[in-house]
Amino acid sequence: MIFIIEDDKVMAECIMRACLGYDVRVFSNAIEAMGEISNNIIPELIFLDIMLDGPDGFTFLNELVSYTDTANIPIVIVSSLDFDNVDLSIYGVVGVLNKDTMVPEDIKRYAKEYCGK
Amino acid sequence: MDVEVDGILVAAHELKAPLAVLRQLALSFDEMNDTNEHIRSEMVSVSERAIKQVNDLIKVRRLEDGLFEMEPVAVRAVCDAVTRELNYLFKGERKGLFVRYSNRVKLVTANRDLLYSVVYNFLLNAIHYSSAETRAELVVKDYHGMVQVKIRDYGPALPIDVWREMKRGFVRKPTSIAMRPGSSGLGLFIASRFSRYMHAEVGAVRHRDGTSFYINLPISKQMSMFDYDFYN
Repeated sequence: MIFIIEDDKVMAECIMRACLGYDVRVFSNAIEAMGEISNNIIPELIFLDIMLDGPDGFTFLNELVSYTDTANIPIVIVSSLDFDNVDLSIYGVVGVLNKDTMVPEDIKRYAKEYCGK
Repeated sequence: MDVEVDGILVAAHELKAPLAVLRQLALSFDEMNDTNEHIRSEMVSVSERAIKQVNDLIKVRRLEDGLFEMEPVAVRAVCDAVTRELNYLFKGERKGLFVRYSNRVKLVTANRDLLYSVVYNFLLNAIHYSSAETRAELVVKDYHGMVQVKIRDYGPALPIDVWREMKRGFVRKPTSIAMRPGSSGLGLFIASRFSRYMHAEVGAVRHRDGTSFYINLPISKQMSMFDYDFYN
């Protein structure tokens, strides 16, 4: 299962389209996503925006790494912010996609790698 | 912070998100027939160029923080990268691009990203304003102890007031350029800010049949002993 946490509905839909064939859940904020994880629904991969309404992406990442059962969920950050030369591996971040330059194949690649189709 | 620059930064952030979405939408069209494919390509290309300019505006704000390191930069490699990126646009507009490198000194002191943006903006300007079936020219040469990158277009001449600002070496703010319709002068504004940061000279030459924009870059003395021909 893939979680997409993105407050822009159109951008979320674009990511969802690239994940066609996978079980996908979309959340517009971090609280909704955390609520789902609290119900023991652990995704295999999360596409995460950083600038979100309410708690931002980093608050969500800190929350995830503080629990043993969620600390190792692979996270792909999807953002317009510049993360060059920033080490995010401590948060379980396996990739960073820049919204300005990413293409649907980037999403598909991560989905295939971590959700195995 | 400069109020004008602050305003630009806010506008830039506002513009960037919808542009990124527009680009993603265009890329998400799964099935496009041959008739519509060019529309998708145009949407992607227009939004990518706009995103680049918005990113440049954000960099204008960051200039104040001095975050861009100056280093020895191979000027030809930068020009090659820009022309490669814009090649499709020249082809699409059916305009030619003539490139000539005659500089003996290969390394200049600059910031690669900023120099890339300056050349990119000048070339974009040249594509936009060159008349149909003409060509733009990019020439890199040694110039009075510096290296000059000059981009010439064959279109309407640059208005005298903008030329004066360029001559002073600093465009204070984006202004509408009446004789060059469709332009806000944004590219020139960005180029002049970046050039000033790099201690480079920027300017324009008016011709009867177009305009040349140039940037004169200081030679990298630090690396001169290692200065060899990377390209041959």
